[in-house]
Amino acid sequence: MPVIDYKVPQSVDDAVSLLEANENAKILAGGTDLIIQSRAQSSPDLVVVDLKSLPDFVSANINSEGLSLGPSMSCAEFTAREDIKSLFPGLVEAAFLIGSTQVQGRASIGGNLCNASPAADTIPALMVNNALCVIQGPKGERRVSVEDFVTGVASNCMAKNELLKAILVATPASRTSDAYLRFIPRSEMDIAVAGAAVSVTLETDGTCSKAIVAIGAVAPTAILVDAAAKALIGSKLDETSLQAAADAASAASNPITDRRGTAEFRRHVVGVLVKRAALIAAKRAGDK
Amino acid sequence: MSEVKEYKYIGQRSIRPDGFEKVTGRANYGSDLNLPGMIWGKILRSPHAHAKILSIDYAKAEALSGVLSIATHDDFPDLPVEAVVAGEGTANLRDLAQNLLADEKVLYHGHAILAVAAISEAIAEKAVNLVEVEYEILKPVLDIREATADDAPILHDDMFTKGLEEVPTVASNVAARTEFRKGDVEVGFADADIIIEREFYTPTVHQGYIEPHATTVSYDESGQSMVWCSTQGHFDVRASTAKLLGLSLNKLKVVASEIGGGFGGKTIVYLEPVAHILSKKSGRPVKMIMSREEVFKGSGPGSATRIWVKIGAKNDGTITAMQSNMSFEAGAFKGSPAMLGGMTIFTPYDVEHMYAECYDVVVNKPKVAAYRAPGAPQAEYAAEMVVSELAAKLDIDPIEFRLQNAAKEGTQTIYGPKMKAVGLVECLEAAKNSPHYQSALKANQGRGIAAGFWFNIGGMSSVTINMNPDGTGTIVEGSPDIGGSRASMQMMAAEATGIAMDKFKPIIADTENVAYNASTGGSRTTFATGMAVIEAGEDIVQQMKERAAAVWNVTAAQVDWIDGVAVNTAAENRLTAAEICAGVGRTGGQISGRANINARGAGPSFAVHVCDVEVDMETGKVDVIRYTAIQDAGKAIHPSYVEGQYQGGAVQGIGWALNEEYVYNEDGILQNPGFLDYRIPLASDLPMIETIIVEVPNAYHPYGVRGVGETGIIPPLAAVAYAVSDAIKAPVTDLPCSPPNVLKIIQSK
Amino acid sequence: MATVFFSSELIKFTGEEQVEVKARDYRALIDELVTRFENLDKAQMMEMAISIDGLILVDPLFEAIEEESEIHFFYFVTGG
Repeated sequence: MPVIDYKVPQSVDDAVSLLEANENAKILAGGTDLIIQSRAQSSPDLVVVDLKSLPDFVSANINSEGLSLGPSMSCAEFTAREDIKSLFPGLVEAAFLIGSTQVQGRASIGGNLCNASPAADTIPALMVNNALCVIQGPKGERRVSVEDFVTGVASNCMAKNELLKAILVATPASRTSDAYLRFIPRSEMDIAVAGAAVSVTLETDGTCSKAIVAIGAVAPTAILVDAAAKALIGSKLDETSLQAAADAASAASNPITDRRGTAEFRRHVVGVLVKRAALIAAKRAGDK
Repeated sequence: MSEVKEYKYIGQRSIRPDGFEKVTGRANYGSDLNLPGMIWGKILRSPHAHAKILSIDYAKAEALSGVLSIATHDDFPDLPVEAVVAGEGTANLRDLAQNLLADEKVLYHGHAILAVAAISEAIAEKAVNLVEVEYEILKPVLDIREATADDAPILHDDMFTKGLEEVPTVASNVAARTEFRKGDVEVGFADADIIIEREFYTPTVHQGYIEPHATTVSYDESGQSMVWCSTQGHFDVRASTAKLLGLSLNKLKVVASEIGGGFGGKTIVYLEPVAHILSKKSGRPVKMIMSREEVFKGSGPGSATRIWVKIGAKNDGTITAMQSNMSFEAGAFKGSPAMLGGMTIFTPYDVEHMYAECYDVVVNKPKVAAYRAPGAPQAEYAAEMVVSELAAKLDIDPIEFRLQNAAKEGTQTIYGPKMKAVGLVECLEAAKNSPHYQSALKANQGRGIAAGFWFNIGGMSSVTINMNPDGTGTIVEGSPDIGGSRASMQMMAAEATGIAMDKFKPIIADTENVAYNASTGGSRTTFATGMAVIEAGEDIVQQMKERAAAVWNVTAAQVDWIDGVAVNTAAENRLTAAEICAGVGRTGGQISGRANINARGAGPSFAVHVCDVEVDMETGKVDVIRYTAIQDAGKAIHPSYVEGQYQGGAVQGIGWALNEEYVYNEDGILQNPGFLDYRIPLASDLPMIETIIVEVPNAYHPYGVRGVGETGIIPPLAAVAYAVSDAIKAPVTDLPCSPPNVLKIIQSK
Repeated sequence: MATVFFSSELIKFTGEEQVEVKARDYRALIDELVTRFENLDKAQMMEMAISIDGLILVDPLFEAIEEESEIHFFYFVTGG
């Protein structure tokens, strides 16, 4: 393996300095992507910077404003948190789908986000919750939305000397909830063929007053589909509006054909997932 | 089921003698042997599916510090065109050598070209990347249609189709044509009220054994060498390696490690002769381990097929004629199990008129290897789909329809012999009476029934049982234990001798410590090696009686052997096995039982599977929700391992039906050489596989054993695919029933 | 007389589907068949498996053949 050095920074500033000082430095969150990528690389030897010794990076706090999530917290710890699950059930179910039970002991939401796979499960779920990425660089901190953070296949907006310090998710408004569904041919241990996250806010009479729809694995990056959200808003999520949302998601998708599925199949299935996720999110919102 | 014998040991669910080693991780597998001075071998594989090798320049690799030897095709001696045992029959030695290290052409993506041995794995890998190969890229042929097209690129200029009426003058990708005939299908079809014909496709699949191929080979200057490897048959590894390298058998000792699955794929050599060349050239022991990617790219998958089937029946449910035309992909070298497809396709049925034509076709994919009942799953899939469809069209229950036409004692098979007593009718009855078959289905659910036939084989086995002075013994056998056979051997030795099971320790000896044994394959081990164990046990009993008679100064005929004790009823004398063994010095030396047999009379095993699925009509996803595997074991020596074979076969077959397939791009580059995208079923994908053991004894085995290892993979393909058909109310012809494929059928209804 | 049945592959050489043969054992049977059908190749015949009244034999040599026996020649099968 071409890892030539393993660094454990004592602070965020320390970590940023390491990134600045080493041309081939890479942040290790859980390592479930990085280690596999490093094996495949014939390219430069890696300097690994492991942030798991910094407490803020492996913990999650909920206060009156919402959730502040350490990017290296393992999915296993994240999904075990009942307080998080009650606020963001869709985000938790996305984290629960990554890899397998064993992989979730290491995999993290920050890693999933920075790795920026088109098929990443947590990215659409973060998007429908309007999550903010807190980025630390040598000159300080900046905040960007998830849709601006992910810039392409396996690329994000961070400069070489920046790192993801926290993910902030505001407490959902009342009668608002989310859901995430993905399609895989098996029951686990797989990568999304298509994914859909939906957040809805319901009036007391069941009318949808607000909706956000994001789809994954059907374009170079996860995308927000405003047209699908619009189809839901103002409706009581009847079959017609759900189908309109599904059609909008299919139309917005831009999938490829590969070993995991054909473009045609992905385009169709992402619509089905939007419909189903909207109904689950609505059920959750209504129960609040 | 005329007489039911009472057994003391067999039929129990004993603890396997090798269990502790395996659950504690102490058991040694193919990659576990390390020797002093050992170095590492790595293989350079072709990045192209079809290309001429113009030149190979390995000067840079050879010059790299730490590289100790390099092997190429030139290291093989000139080889005769001679058959060696390999997989589902025989392979040509020259083909085998060309598959191990390519000669003038590479014939598939991943075809081995050259091997390097170096002092570390990393250096060996680096050296492999320094080898420069110049190719002239050729157009690949990737399936049967492409291979048989008029202007198809030809893989082998010297291959002419065998078995044609007229001897061909033009080289072809069709290696051979074979046919099997019984009666006259034209007469049979003329008699039919209804005829259904369809063409089916099954993709290239891999056996998916969890343990990759691995070996350590050590050659010493005296010309002796030792091969340690994960194999289904170390004697056949010895035979192939010796023939390929021009060695005499006594120069080569092969030790079978524990094995993490084989399913037919570990009946042939990939690494061992190459590691031998590297070891001889470097003077060091050489270890080679395939990565999972290499296993997919370089080791034998099961054939993709195109199979056309036509079956006719009368309105009363009598099948009048069955016909098929089937093509099997062999991969890069001839030798697919097409012929076995022809022999098995219609064998569950007693029908007067049958005809099967079989074609063996080469394509630019890895050379196929045996895979659990080679040829039968694909062929019987096609037949069972049409049989089920006929039953539905005739509005006859699919089990009743099969019962009405089932093969039984006296049925003339398409391939030759008449059936002896077989258990198909009993399996169908058991299926019919099962709680599963009597349960109701809900919306979007479907049910499939399918039968399966496999021959099973006998062959040569050698066993010695050495008795110790305290009356315990060692069963020295030579059949690698894949499915729990040590336990079965222990039980059969106890049954034959009356000496308790735990007094016997079974061991799998290397090629120097027991005489030849055919591989663990063809569902033969419990049948054939078991028969040798029984015979060796009877040999011991005879000697025990003679020794007791000598002690008592009577004739052996006056001694009875009851539950492991010699009894002279007249004089009320008793001597236990332990007492006899303790006194062997006075009665003629140590006691060991021996049997070297060529086991005859293997009994076919039939199975019937029942499968329920639920289909997500919006995504095409299929969930198997209930599954029952029913099979005739003849006699289940260890019922838990028999059930394990049924369940394992069912699960592999379900994977074949649902998601497994090699995906190639148009250049013939394999897209999914790993378990992420080559999707075998996960435990969480499946319900518990229910099992029913049927026992119709095989008259030619002392305890009635048939083999059970292979038949179980045959019915699932049609059981699953027909259940899908039933749920979506549209015919399925092409596997796998993956979501995109199933959704397409639903949407085009 | 025992009855010998030929596979479709062998019919090409014998022209007949079945014949009556008087032979004490397998060895005598092969000798009789290759004498009667000169196109039959002895080595190829001996590579095939046979069944005598349903008992399947690979590598036979001295197996006895009864008066009323039914004999089939077929391809040798192995497995996975």
